[in-house]
Order: sequence, then structure tokens, then C-alpha cells
Amino acid sequence: MPWSDLRLLKLLFLQDLRSLLGYPSLWITLVMLSLLVGYSFVQAQDLFSQASRTALAYPELGSGLNPVEAVFVPTMGAYYLVETLLLPFVVIRLAGQDRQTGSLKLLLQLPLPPVMLNVAKLAALSVAGMLLALPALAAILIWHYLGGSVYGPELATLLLGHVLYTLAIFCIALFAATVSATPASAAIICLAVTLGSWVLDFAVSSGDWPAWLSRSSLTSLLRQFETGLLSSVDVILFLSISALFFYAGAIFLPTGRRLFDRLRGILGGMLVFGVIVWVAVQYPAYRDTTENRRHSFNPADERALKALPALLDISVHMNRDDSRLYDFERSVLSKLRRLVPQLRIRYVESTSQGLFGAPENDQYGLIEYDYEGRHDQSYSTSPREVLPLIHALAGQKLLPDPVPAYTGHPLVVDSAVSAWVFYVLLPFLFLYSAWLFRHPKLFLDVSGDLNHEDR
Amino acid sequence: MPETGELFSCQGVSRQFGSARVLSDVGFSVFPGEILGVIGPNGAGKTTLMECLTGLAPCEVRSLCWQGRGFSPQEASRYLYYLPDGVLPYPDHLVIVVLRFFRQLYGASVERQGYLIKRLGLEAVLDKRVRALSKGYRRRLLLAIGLLSSQPLLLLDEPFDGFDLRQTLDIMSLLREMLTHRPLLLCIHQLSEAQKICDRFLLLNEGRVVALGSLDELRAQAGLREGGLEEVFLALV
Repeated sequence: MPWSDLRLLKLLFLQDLRSLLGYPSLWITLVMLSLLVGYSFVQAQDLFSQASRTALAYPELGSGLNPVEAVFVPTMGAYYLVETLLLPFVVIRLAGQDRQTGSLKLLLQLPLPPVMLNVAKLAALSVAGMLLALPALAAILIWHYLGGSVYGPELATLLLGHVLYTLAIFCIALFAATVSATPASAAIICLAVTLGSWVLDFAVSSGDWPAWLSRSSLTSLLRQFETGLLSSVDVILFLSISALFFYAGAIFLPTGRRLFDRLRGILGGMLVFGVIVWVAVQYPAYRDTTENRRHSFNPADERALKALPALLDISVHMNRDDSRLYDFERSVLSKLRRLVPQLRIRYVESTSQGLFGAPENDQYGLIEYDYEGRHDQSYSTSPREVLPLIHALAGQKLLPDPVPAYTGHPLVVDSAVSAWVFYVLLPFLFLYSAWLFRHPKLFLDVSGDLNHEDR
Repeated sequence: MPETGELFSCQGVSRQFGSARVLSDVGFSVFPGEILGVIGPNGAGKTTLMECLTGLAPCEVRSLCWQGRGFSPQEASRYLYYLPDGVLPYPDHLVIVVLRFFRQLYGASVERQGYLIKRLGLEAVLDKRVRALSKGYRRRLLLAIGLLSSQPLLLLDEPFDGFDLRQTLDIMSLLREMLTHRPLLLCIHQLSEAQKICDRFLLLNEGRVVALGSLDELRAQAGLREGGLEEVFLALV
């Protein structure tokens, strides 16, 4: 990029940032976020403390007390609400302003590629993103100050999920503001996409639509990060969705482009998006970032499963909505999918319908395993029974690696400090900042701008 | 500079909205140091023409030339700057902040900004928010933004709208001063004002060029011996 373009980009970024920091909507969003995060954090701390009291008396119960899972995932749930329902309005206000006030016609005449106007906005929004991170940062610091354990990789995965989700929301809202004539239309488009994800989740979970569709739901993508399982597919999907909407916004931004050219550009973008997603799905990579390794088998089991040379065939005789199937999916099948090179899973739908129909069928609940002509079956959904069965079928004998048992981090805390920080200190800080930025005269020096000795 | 002395010329500018043709094969030239007025009744396509020339609206163009060299509408921002009507840039910001932003964006000097502030009488409103300005001050601010730009041909849409007679004469005088730097293309609704300031006229009607030339040439085309621009306009449209 030429130096002059960078200079213009910096000026646009600073102007957009000035606009953004002057919006009451940004500061109201931050106050709301502080209150919501505070409420979630205080509740999570209280519940964790209650569970910890029991665990301190009976240490074997401590393994269920994972701070990231029990405290930070619910705390960050407040972020999900704000990112989905409030943040789009801030973005639309910033991105739609140029179009509504006519400034866009002036800015499009700059010797700068039009996409740079949105790049500047995204850069300004990322500063807003840093402000949004303050309540989360406060929660982490308070937890650390109170003596709580914070497992970095697991927490980083959770935060990464929210950063990527926020980026996607920014790009969707930027696109919506670019293609809409009014902020109301932009809000409708943006919420249609984000809330449409909920509908997609609901339709998939009810079994009406194919399960693979849920992979494209933003909510499902974020949920994967909350589990602590870092997946290259999820990261690439998030980034690709963001890039697609950002690119589509850039295509629609210049007013002088014909509709046919715009549609051709969008089609090209979708093609590239499709190829990237297809490649990502074909070559997935995973990392279990959880402290209690809940997404992993024993390392010896994992090595043996990765080394299976032939096809492992599993037939599950259960209805899709059976809770045992959910358990089996979570504790066994999802891990096998990531480990076994050749795996086929078949869901044999039972003729029994629902809870009361199931026992009438003898085969119901049975899980069959076939490997190189050898066959075995079991009703168990526990990895402790399933894994030896698979190893026996494959003729593998192995000793489990010594892995220290996860004992959890029970902690009893007083949530009063958190309440003061989130209900008083942070809201006051945000309101004071809003007042400062609504009075820009405080920072203004016009003496240099009035020099008119020469024209 | 080519032999013809043209600074800017365009040929075959056309635009269609569905089945309606809003601009049809429009062509004209601008010479150094002149003010060309684009005049015509409401809906004649004056604003659309300006937006098409500056690449802000999609159109078909046979040729756009700057000093004899062709360029595309997407490259227009190198030579043309269009100041639209009814723009309210950054309404939540202070006037001085907006002026400073555009001055830095266009690479204009602080001295030039100071001169325009004084010349356009903006000193009194520098610390006011743009949305709080009266219509007249908004026009002055816009004009200051336009005159801070650096492109060699300036296109102004209704530059005198919102000004009283004295202010209009003052603005005309300022624009004349600016001619030493660059020619102007003015889109003017008020014919009396157009006659006072423009050297030549491009008369548009229903998206077509009806007449192009000085007032005398337009008079001859209309078959009138005398009369102002209004009479010529009525005779031709």
C-alpha cells in the first residue's frame, strides 16, 4: 500500500474512532455489558463457592470444579447477549452514518480504494472491542486476586471464540449498513442473520434439518469454543464468514458499480468461501485445551486408535433424541471421529418411537462394532467399556499412560468485591468516559486552524 | 495541452433506470479558467450527470478525457471533485473538527483553511456541532470542504442554495477568485444566478443536451435577438 494511502487510512480511522467514542449507544452498551457480566460472574462465583464447600469436605468431588467451565463460560454468556443484540446497533450507527448524511459521496472521491473506508471502520471498531473486553478482563483479574485458578489455554480458547464471534458480528453489521438505505433496515438484516442462527440451531436440534447445517450457525460455532476444544474448522469457518460479509460490504460500498458487477463479485466471493470451507473440513486439526482433558482419551488409547489401519464400523440402534446417544456422542463418538483414520458410523433408526416405545424393541440401545470381519456389541456408552472392546477387536494390547487425575480447583469466595466493581465502578467509569467524549471542546485547540495570513 | 485547449471533455454519457433513460448521450467540454453552468428544469438529469462523471453512479460513457488523455469514471477522483447538495458530513462533530479532518484528508494547508474560514464567515460557528448549524452555515461549511479539495476541476451542485443575495454575491466573488486555480462546473437551478456567474451554459432537458455555449450562442440557437437566460431557457425547453 502506498504511503499516501496509509496516511488517508489513518485519518479515516481517527475520524471514525472519534465518531464511535462520541456515540452514547457505545457507552450504554458498555454499561449494560458491565451489569450483565457482573450479574453472571457473581452468580457463577456463588454457585462455585457452594459446590466448593462440599468438595472441600469430600475432595473426590473436586474434579467437577473447573473454573473456566463453571465460572468463565457462564460469565461470558453475558457477552453473547450483548454481542448479538446490542453491538450490531453500534456498528450500524457508525457504518450507516456516511450513507445517511451523504458523507459517503465525499469519501468515495478520495484517491483510495473504497474498501479502505470499511477497513478504517473495522479498525475503529476493534478499539471498541478492546473497551468491550474490559469487563472480562476485570472478571479474570478479580478471580485471580481472590485466589482462583485460571488455566490459560482453556480460557484463551473461550476468549478467542468471543473475539471471532464479535468480528463476525462486526462484518455482518457492516455489510447490513452498506446495503441498506436506513439504519432500521440494516438492523433488520443484521438481526435476521444473527437470530437466524438460533432458528437454524432449533431446526437442526429438532431433527427437521440435516445436522451439518448447524456447523454454519454462529451460535454453534461459538459453543464449540466454550467446550475448550479448539478446532481449525471452527476458526476457519468464523474467519471465512467474517471475510465473506466484509468482502460483500466492500462490493456494495462504491455507489458507481453496476448491479450485475456487484452480483458477479458476490458470486466469486462465495465460490472462494466455499472452497476454503471445503478444504478446512477435509483437513481438520484439533487441540484439547481443557485442563481436565475432557475431550481426550488416555494418550495410549489415542495412539492406538490413530494407528488403526482398517475401517471401524459402528452401528448405533438409538433414536436421535435419546439422551444416551447424546452421552455416547459426547464421550466416545466425537473423540473417535477425531482419532480413527477410517471410521463409519451408522445410526439405525429404531421402529420404537419415544421414551415409552423404546423398551419394546430388543435391539434398541445396542451398539455394534465391526472391524476386519470381527464383530462385537454392547449397550454401554462409556469409554471405559467401549475402548477395551475396540482394542480387542483390533487385536491391540496396551497399557494406559500414567496421567495425573484432575482434582479440580475448589474455592470459596466472597462476591462482594465483584459486585462493587461491576455494578458501581465500571458503569461509573463508562458513564464518565461518555461525558468526556461528548464534550470534545475539552480537548480542542483551534488556534492553529485560524491562521489565515495566506491562502 | 491539446490544440483545442480543452481541459476536460466527455462524450456519450448515458444512464438508464429500468426502461427510463435519465441521461442520453451527453457530451461537453470544459476550458481552463471558465465557469460552465449546467442548467435545466427539475428532473433534467443535472445531478445524475455530475454523479456519473465522478463515478458515483453507474453509467455508460464513450469517453472521458483530461487534457486529451482518456480515463475511466473510476479514475475520475484524480481530476474531478464533486460537492453534492444536501450533504451533512459528521453531524455530531464540531465544525472545526470536520474542517480539520477534510483539510488533512485533501492535503490542504492550514493557511488555506484559515483563509476559507474567514472568507466564508465560519469563525462564529467553529465550536458548534454540524447538526446545530443553520442552512446557510451548512452550505458555507460544505463550500469550504469543496474548496479545500485539490482536484483540478470542481463540480458544485446548487452552490448558492440557502444564501441571501449579498451572500450569493460574496460566494460568487470567492468562486471567481478560485478560478485562478481551477475551472468550475456548476449545477444551478436559479437561472438569474447562473447568468451572473457562468461563462457558458449546458442546457439539459429530459437527459439530453438541448444547447451548449455562451449566452449569445444560446440566444442565437433560440432565435432570440435579446433577452436573458430565462427567456432563452423558455424558448429552448
